[in-house]
Amino acid sequence: MKNKFSPYVPRLATLKSKKKLSDYVTLFRFEQDNGRPLAHSPGQFIQVSIFGIGEAPFSITSPPIREHHYFEIAVRKIGSVTTALHNLKPGDKIGVRGPYGSSFPMQKFIGKDMLFIAGGLGFIPLRSVLNYMIRHRDEYGKIMLLVGTRNPKERIFIDQLEEMSKREDIKVLETVDVPDETWKGNVGVITTLLPKITIEPENTYVAMVGPPIMYKFVIAECKKMGISEDKIFVSLERRMKCGLGKCGHCQINGLSCCVDGPVFCYTDIASLEEAI
Amino acid sequence: MSKPKVAFFDFAGCEGDQLQIANLEERLLDIASHLEIVNFREVKTEQADNYDIAFIEGSITRPEDEKRLKKIRKQAKMLIAMGACATIGGINCLKNFLGKQEYTSLVYGPYARHYSTYATRPVRAVVPVDGEIHGCPIDKEEFVLVVKSLLLGKIYIPPDYPVCVECKKAGNICQLEQGRLCLGMITRAGCKATCISAGSVCWGCRGPVPGANLDAARQVIDEHGFSWLEAEDRFRLYLGYFLRLQGWVYEQETT
Amino acid sequence: MSAHVVYLEQLPSLFEKWKEKFKLFVPQKKGDYYLLQEYERGQEICFDYDVIYNPIKSFLFPSYETLLDFDLKTYASKPVVDAEPQILFGIHPYDIKAINQLDQLMEMGSVDVNYRARRDKTVIMGLEPLRVAKTAFWSFMDAEKVDFGFDLFWTKIGPSAFVVEVGSVLGEELLFVNGKVDVATAAEKEVARRKHQEIVKKAKMQNVLKFPNTDIPKVMAKSFNSYVWIEKSRKCLSCGSCNFICPTCYCFDIQDEVDDLLKKGKRYRTWDGCMLRSFASIAGGHNFRKQVFERYRHRYMRKGRYIYDLLGELGCVGCGRCIQSCPARIANPLEIFNFLWEDVSYEK
Repeated sequence: MKNKFSPYVPRLATLKSKKKLSDYVTLFRFEQDNGRPLAHSPGQFIQVSIFGIGEAPFSITSPPIREHHYFEIAVRKIGSVTTALHNLKPGDKIGVRGPYGSSFPMQKFIGKDMLFIAGGLGFIPLRSVLNYMIRHRDEYGKIMLLVGTRNPKERIFIDQLEEMSKREDIKVLETVDVPDETWKGNVGVITTLLPKITIEPENTYVAMVGPPIMYKFVIAECKKMGISEDKIFVSLERRMKCGLGKCGHCQINGLSCCVDGPVFCYTDIASLEEAI
Repeated sequence: MSKPKVAFFDFAGCEGDQLQIANLEERLLDIASHLEIVNFREVKTEQADNYDIAFIEGSITRPEDEKRLKKIRKQAKMLIAMGACATIGGINCLKNFLGKQEYTSLVYGPYARHYSTYATRPVRAVVPVDGEIHGCPIDKEEFVLVVKSLLLGKIYIPPDYPVCVECKKAGNICQLEQGRLCLGMITRAGCKATCISAGSVCWGCRGPVPGANLDAARQVIDEHGFSWLEAEDRFRLYLGYFLRLQGWVYEQETT
Repeated sequence: MSAHVVYLEQLPSLFEKWKEKFKLFVPQKKGDYYLLQEYERGQEICFDYDVIYNPIKSFLFPSYETLLDFDLKTYASKPVVDAEPQILFGIHPYDIKAINQLDQLMEMGSVDVNYRARRDKTVIMGLEPLRVAKTAFWSFMDAEKVDFGFDLFWTKIGPSAFVVEVGSVLGEELLFVNGKVDVATAAEKEVARRKHQEIVKKAKMQNVLKFPNTDIPKVMAKSFNSYVWIEKSRKCLSCGSCNFICPTCYCFDIQDEVDDLLKKGKRYRTWDGCMLRSFASIAGGHNFRKQVFERYRHRYMRKGRYIYDLLGELGCVGCGRCIQSCPARIANPLEIFNFLWEDVSYEK
């Protein structure tokens, strides 16, 4: 065969550093061996290969910044691939395919107020958008961030949250479902945070990522606050296997989450029964 | 990293699964190069009591077995049930459908009272297991796969779909369609539909697939013209333990 | 394109010639069933088969297929794209339609190189059906005739003569490997046309779709919450038989396999099916189609609506394989379409 190209062949990347975010979640920083940046847009995902174990999709949590040649993923130890990732040492190799999928429309957000709603690990892809905006802070309006976590032990990116809450230009609100003795903040599901903020509905975009159960309730709340459906952007999780729209695992009704998503404008999926 | 120490133990069973492993022949040497086998009656004579991974063959049919199994569980870092007797109770469960007096006298005759025995159960009913290799006998390829997964740190999850999947992939013509009673539709896959490819039918030796719709299967078998008795007999051969459980415990444990 | 006449006695020598460069698969009888199997000299060919048991997709998209080789130490990997030249002889129009559909789906967005490589090396020779399978309803799914997707199309016009329509340059070359063959006369072409009409008429007599198939997507769109899904799926065994024998189903899973020394390995793909329990489950255990009826519904929606939304044609060609192979006899697109149509019409 002359043509030896296949979209299934991953590029190599090297682990540069890793940092524990919580008991189960670790932040990994990789650099591609070809020296190029990943060139992703916030909200996209990559397929990470550990040869012999398999491949799994992860959202990229670092913002796209030209001079940064690294990219970051935050991973919860939950299966074979994620466990193998946690066992990697700096200098070890992984395979990377992608970035794949749609991204948050950063152009559309310019000059608007932003409301981020992150449930649990949903903060991981949102962090990419958020950090990008913080870097280009003057281009965007008010930034509000609502974070909901199951319990205080599972909070991730705590340093960044604390740092941001000190800033004047970002409003951060946190809540946990089940508090422990160390927790002094809000208690309750994430929808309980929404009444605590004031927004201008016509000038605010919402970006939300969280567990499947979260969307229905939060979107309903957002609509009650006067935000129209076309201003709500969600990122959905499905079982992306090939990332090319072929294998069928990530179908949401007739859409493939890996090419049509993972980021959707709510108007596009409101009529899909399987989406939310 | 030092090589993990591996031991094989057998309970009520025919040791056919260990024989399957011995049948790997030269390949066994490659695989064994990553392991230290300390206890393997089918292949070597010397034995030791210091091991990390224990493979258990056979089902638990006597109160004494339980003690021995619990001791193994304590010593082993990882315990893997191997073969139908160990994973699903296997053919030994046939006796669960008879009264104790009936089967002891059938087997031991006048000496029945000298033997202690109780209803057959799989390994997982006595101690927690870290993995299961299904089949009667096991598929040696699957055994190799499990060992390699262990060595790579990969969690081996046996297929959670029925034999029909692998049977269709193998390009076989459906046996049920041809008028033979085949249990492929409710049996866990992983055997690459060996029996059907060889012209036989599926006997259900790998146990019910998680979430097996036994009610539907009974109805389907009935509609294909088999008698209730025929179907129930076939079910009992390997699925006896689960017929008694009505499936729900199994369902919970595997999801 | 042109049409020619070939006589039965010319076939063996043609086949022998083709076999020099291609693997040749022809329909053969096996018990009460028909399979597409490799041709051996002197073998009898079933021109009057009703339906090939094994789906034709397995020749273009095999049930196990290696995608790449890798090395666990160096992490080097290289693609594996294997394809051997092959001729699939005697494919009915509905199966050709299914292949055409797969071609398009595999080409959309990112080209599937493995499929494409195989497809490029495959010669398809169509055959006008002489019999209709008991479960077939292709005549109602616009699949009784294809205009493209074949290199040659054979119609048996008599006990020992065929009219062969040329569909591609390669097809013509293959037809002429033993020298030119006669051009079909107008009368012979007319016989072929009548043969086609005859079989379509026969097919229309059984398994009737009670409404125009163009309405299927509309009917399906209205039926997402129909009770039929729960009702029918009660008997579903989630065995995926309907997926795997379907000529237009193409979902797959990707897995890794390493050698016994744990040094090298390969990544392969294997058929997967949306009817299987954990098809839509993600890490952490959430299953987006946990209930049997959700999976059962998804398959029909895919065939009757989603593929239509993508390509403008239905995802079902009416071959009837799923009806035949479902142990529970609940996989019957025709029955479902008819039922839902009646249901939807009644509600109006």
